[in-house]
Amino acid sequence: MQDVLTLAQAGGTPPMAGVTLAHYLFVSAAMFALGLVGFLVRRNLIVMFLCTELMFQASGIALIAFARYHMEMSGQTFVIFVLTVAAAEAALALALVVLLFRRRDSLSTEAWQEMRG
Amino acid sequence: MLYLLMAVPLLFAAVIATRPPEHARWIALVGSFVALGVTLFAMLQFSYAFGGSTQLEAHTPWIPALGVTLDVGVDSVSLLLIALTALLGPICVLASWTAITWQQRTYYAWLLILQTAMVGVFAARDLIFFYVCFEFTLIPMYVLISLFGSTNRKKAATKFFLYTFTGSIVALAGLIYVAWWHARGAGEWTFAIATLGETARQMPLSVQMPVMIAMLLGFAVKVPLFPVHTWLPLAHTEAPTAGSVILAGVLLKLGTYGIYRFVLPFVPEAVAVAAPTIAVLSIIGIVYAGLICWVQTDVKKLVAYSSVSHLGFCVIGLFALNHVGISGSVMYMINHGLSTGALFLLIGMAYERYHTRSMKELGGLAAKMPVWATFMVFFAMASVALPGLNGFVSEFMCMMGVFQADDAWAAAAGSAAQVPGSTPGPLGPWFALAAGTGVIIGAMYVLYMVGKVCFGPLVEPAGHDQHAHGDGHEGDHHLPADLTPREIWTLLPLAAGCLVLGLYPSPVLDTIEPSVSNIVSLYDDRVELPAMMPTGDTDAPADRPAEVMP
Amino acid sequence: MLMHSAVQNAAEAVVGGAVSAADAARAFALPEVTEGPWWVALIPFLPLLGAALCGLCAAFKVKSKLPAWITVALLATSFAITVAMFQQLSGGASISHAFRWIEFRWGPEADQIFTANFSFYADNLSILWMLFVTGLATLIALYASEYMSHEVGTGYCRFFAAFCLFVFSMSCLVLGDNLILLFLGWEGVGLCSYLLIGYYYKKPSAVAAAKKAFIMNRIGDLGLLMGIFLTFVHFGTVEYRELFALAEPYVLALQQGRIGDIPAIVNLIPVLLAIGAFGKSAQFPLYVWLPDAMEGPTPVSALIHAATMVTAGVYLIARTYPLFLASDIALPLVAWVGAITALLAATIGMAQFDIKRIMAYSTVSQLGFMFCGLAVLTTAGGVFHVLTHAFFKATLFLACGAVMHGFAGQLDLRKLSGVMFMPGWLIVGLAMLVGCLNLAGFPFTAGYFSKDLILAEAFITPTMAPIGWILLFTAGLTAYYTFRVFFRVFVGPKEFHPGDDAHGEAETDVEEHSEQVEQGNPQAEAVGEKAHDVGDEAHGADEAEDHEHGHGHFHPHPPGWAINTVLATLALASILAAGLYFIGDKGWVDGMLQSSTAQQVYLTQEGTRASGYALVTAEPAAKGTFLGFDPHKAMYYVSAVVGLIGIGVAFVLHYLGRTEAATSRADKLLPAMGPIATWAQDKWRVDELYDMVIVKPLRVISHIFHVIDKLIVDGLVNLFGVLPRMIGSALRPVQSGQLQGYAVGMAVGLAFVLLVVVLMAVAGAGVAS
Repeated sequence: MQDVLTLAQAGGTPPMAGVTLAHYLFVSAAMFALGLVGFLVRRNLIVMFLCTELMFQASGIALIAFARYHMEMSGQTFVIFVLTVAAAEAALALALVVLLFRRRDSLSTEAWQEMRG
Repeated sequence: MLYLLMAVPLLFAAVIATRPPEHARWIALVGSFVALGVTLFAMLQFSYAFGGSTQLEAHTPWIPALGVTLDVGVDSVSLLLIALTALLGPICVLASWTAITWQQRTYYAWLLILQTAMVGVFAARDLIFFYVCFEFTLIPMYVLISLFGSTNRKKAATKFFLYTFTGSIVALAGLIYVAWWHARGAGEWTFAIATLGETARQMPLSVQMPVMIAMLLGFAVKVPLFPVHTWLPLAHTEAPTAGSVILAGVLLKLGTYGIYRFVLPFVPEAVAVAAPTIAVLSIIGIVYAGLICWVQTDVKKLVAYSSVSHLGFCVIGLFALNHVGISGSVMYMINHGLSTGALFLLIGMAYERYHTRSMKELGGLAAKMPVWATFMVFFAMASVALPGLNGFVSEFMCMMGVFQADDAWAAAAGSAAQVPGSTPGPLGPWFALAAGTGVIIGAMYVLYMVGKVCFGPLVEPAGHDQHAHGDGHEGDHHLPADLTPREIWTLLPLAAGCLVLGLYPSPVLDTIEPSVSNIVSLYDDRVELPAMMPTGDTDAPADRPAEVMP
Repeated sequence: MLMHSAVQNAAEAVVGGAVSAADAARAFALPEVTEGPWWVALIPFLPLLGAALCGLCAAFKVKSKLPAWITVALLATSFAITVAMFQQLSGGASISHAFRWIEFRWGPEADQIFTANFSFYADNLSILWMLFVTGLATLIALYASEYMSHEVGTGYCRFFAAFCLFVFSMSCLVLGDNLILLFLGWEGVGLCSYLLIGYYYKKPSAVAAAKKAFIMNRIGDLGLLMGIFLTFVHFGTVEYRELFALAEPYVLALQQGRIGDIPAIVNLIPVLLAIGAFGKSAQFPLYVWLPDAMEGPTPVSALIHAATMVTAGVYLIARTYPLFLASDIALPLVAWVGAITALLAATIGMAQFDIKRIMAYSTVSQLGFMFCGLAVLTTAGGVFHVLTHAFFKATLFLACGAVMHGFAGQLDLRKLSGVMFMPGWLIVGLAMLVGCLNLAGFPFTAGYFSKDLILAEAFITPTMAPIGWILLFTAGLTAYYTFRVFFRVFVGPKEFHPGDDAHGEAETDVEEHSEQVEQGNPQAEAVGEKAHDVGDEAHGADEAEDHEHGHGHFHPHPPGWAINTVLATLALASILAAGLYFIGDKGWVDGMLQSSTAQQVYLTQEGTRASGYALVTAEPAAKGTFLGFDPHKAMYYVSAVVGLIGIGVAFVLHYLGRTEAATSRADKLLPAMGPIATWAQDKWRVDELYDMVIVKPLRVISHIFHVIDKLIVDGLVNLFGVLPRMIGSALRPVQSGQLQGYAVGMAVGLAFVLLVVVLMAVAGAGVAS
């Protein structure tokens, strides 16, 4: 981890003094960790879905940070895509969740274990 | 021409898909007759004097980067097998006329597609194209068995598919290896069978051997040779009648055809080494499967096992590596298709009436179905190789080829001139004698079947009498007691074929001779006995390889 | 002839220096081969046409006797053509080519062509055979037209179609100019025999007998087939014309005592051919099918299983006689097998009660005589016996058939007596008497002369004297069992019990009645007696009607004109056949055969010594004698005496003092015989032995194979199928179905991958620095 940080610090002039790439990445990592933990521990489908959104945005932040850092647009382009897809997917996922809720009258993931081998 | 032959069934299959199900069988019938017509036309175009060279060729590139093409062309052996396929086409449709009452479109469409694939196998002159067609036969067959078979059909279909598929993957590996060997030497990829054959023949024995084993594994499963035969009885028993007919008539021949087209000409040195082993396996198959037939209670299973036994003759004939054996084997491919196919048809007809195939529940049907019994006895006799019927010519030739093919003849007599009827080869009289016991066993099980089912006191399954008989109404389960004209017309062409090939096989023998000569010439120079040298045998190959599968 | 001598030269070249030009003495005169007239091909093809026509009759459901008339007409034409060919033939052989059959190139050389065509080889031997085959077939077809009349309809068509097919096959067998066509006929007659034995296909015993016949024949056929292969491998041809020329040097070598010049293959070929002959001609150990074959209709038994088909083995040996002469083991083998068969079958025949079966065993026994005849080098004797036997055995069978026909299937000699003196049965009885006299070798009958020839030559041939003694003893037994039948069934007190069926078509009501009879219901018997007294004018009545009336009104059913005519003709022919013995120098048959390849061959003295077996030499000094007398002269008296003793014993035991059908004086002797009589009655239990030693073990093995196939061979394959499934099921718990479970898995996996990437990066950095 230390290596990554030094790597980040070593590169180029920081565009905003004081706020380095590392800060962005920390925020991103923290958000991702939050999302991941939330996804793993919660059983409510909607909350879990929100957690995945959180992870999405975390990766988005990291992408933008790197893009800015490398002064390249591809990362930001990616994020635009991700946002679009996430929006579409959100609509779809929520619709699915509503359907699932109607079937079982519950939002718990434990209501759905059809794939048990 | 050959493309047309492949396209016709596909076209009619497409038509079936767009028309209502009631029309399906009519369209299929027309389609198969058109295909038969095209085949006859192709046979007229064929120049029999040059039957050993590829004719009616057509070239189409497919994947140029790899040298893969859709080239087609036939020599005399391929042509005859295509003719057999085309002949069985209408027969299969007619055999299913009343038996298939559900999902008719699916059934007939797949039947036609299967025909395309089979023609493709025999016509392909490109390795990859051959392989694609070879494997593609599995899919229609899988559908036919798994949707239209009897009780245990799912298991049978899966086993059939996986078993033969695994085998042919191995064969593909062997063939691809040859192509790779060629690409390494020549610098570019090609899959033209003729070219690859020449390359393969130049491979050292140590390389030929594994290639041969790989190819044989694949084709032996298809044949099927002992001990990889167990899919066959299951598949046959469960398949619908037409499926069994095609399976016995053509699909099994894909294996022997593969051996004929690839194993024998590709790796002659390895084949010469391995021939006794294969012959022993064939003989085990002949005797073992024959004896198993003898204790069957299911008629269809009996005939299925008899196929294993018969194909043993076919394979041992191929590995006699001389004219008589190989010609006999090719004859066997055709004859077995006719006689065993007909036996399956007959069993299907009885099944349609009685809904059982158990010999415990069927007996003495000659009293109720004299026409059926007459045909049964006729084809049973063809199957036990009664002289005058087709089976004899081929079985006789296979056995004689094996009998002749012994280097020991000339060695024992001091010179080949002392035994003018012998040929060099790896087998010999003991192999022929062992295979010959199959002739006796064949009589035992076939007569056991005929004696049980046709003769003796009439036995019918319990509750059968309730079915209406003799009202002539041709609907499902309302067939008359004896055969309908449609069924008789289904059987007559096969019966005529058996009789003609039995009494006048010369045209067919003459036709296949050039193609067989090509292969045998590869083995002629194998002779190492000094006594054979001055007789002029050895200079024969010198002027021959030029025309080997041009 | 040109081609012929070319082949000849080649043959001599093959044996190399062994045969020098100097001793170009011929082993035997090869017949001159000419191109025969095309119409010889009609001899086999007319019957084939007949078969097709009868088949059509069946298809159109003809309900008349049309098939019989078609058959009789075509067979008679065939016979006429044979006679015409006989007239035209003058010693040589002619080949008539019909069409190509199996002909293909089998090697790179131009002359390596395998040829087996539909070509017909007519020489004295084959035409002689065809004369009695087509002649008898015509007569028997006529007989069958009446005998089978209750079957009119499709069964009638089926019978005559198979009958015609049989004649076709037999003609191919006899006339074929190559071994393959012979084999076609060989298996063809086997098929027809199968179809006709199994004619009453509803009877399980008939079906079993048919199956047994076919399979037993197949065993022999395999030997024949191997012999044909060996012939081809060694001689490079299967056509007689070339074959005999090629075989000649070997015969010559054996004659001159150069045993070393004969390769093992040449020695073996006739042995294999003989195995084929043993199968077809019901010789030991392949004879068991013939007695069972009596399940077929009687005309079939007469034609196929007595007169013609079973003599195919004799024909094969006679036809390929040059090959047999070239071997020093084949003919002794044939002689011993023939003698053992003759004796064994005769002992069984003595203890049977079914008259048709007795005739069957006597056929087996007489075939043994014929084989011995060929083996002791008197081809003339062997073939003459075939000829006389064909006539008198056909007579006997047809007479038995008439009895069976008239008494509703009754064949038990304990249930019939005095048949000859019942009204309408005189011709049958006389025909039977003629047949019996012939079979018993009564002096001056045809059977007497032909049997004498064989017996005498057996004593003449030096090493074959034991064969002669066995045959002489057998001749005595033959006379006994033949007249046992005659004295029991045809003469003596009149008595009969009708059989239980109408030729196999079991009808329940009749069966019940006959059971009553078997229980010895005296009342029913009395009624039966009466019935025949009143019923003689009603013999034209439909037989089915008889059964409807039941046993109370049963009356025997004497034969009509067709059966009587045929019987009379055959009986006359049997008597007249004796005259053939006096035609020419050594009899007509000998004269015929001397100009064919089956001529009698004499060995030189060196040959006799060197080969250890053999054969008649030209010098009288080497001839064997019969107790010091010339066998040919002595045998006239000896065999006559032996025959008369046999007849006398039968007379005493089965005629004198017999008051009823069921018992005779012979019964009193049975206890003295101990188990021998029972064993002979049980046919020495050979069937049971075969069943126990061959059939049952094979059956068990088959079942074992079936289980192995299911469990082991298929099991291994299934194992491969099961393996992935087992791995799958081991991993199955991982699929918990819970979303978080998968998520954890994903996270852990991701973490692991990251860890690896980082560690690699670290390691990479480490290396770089």
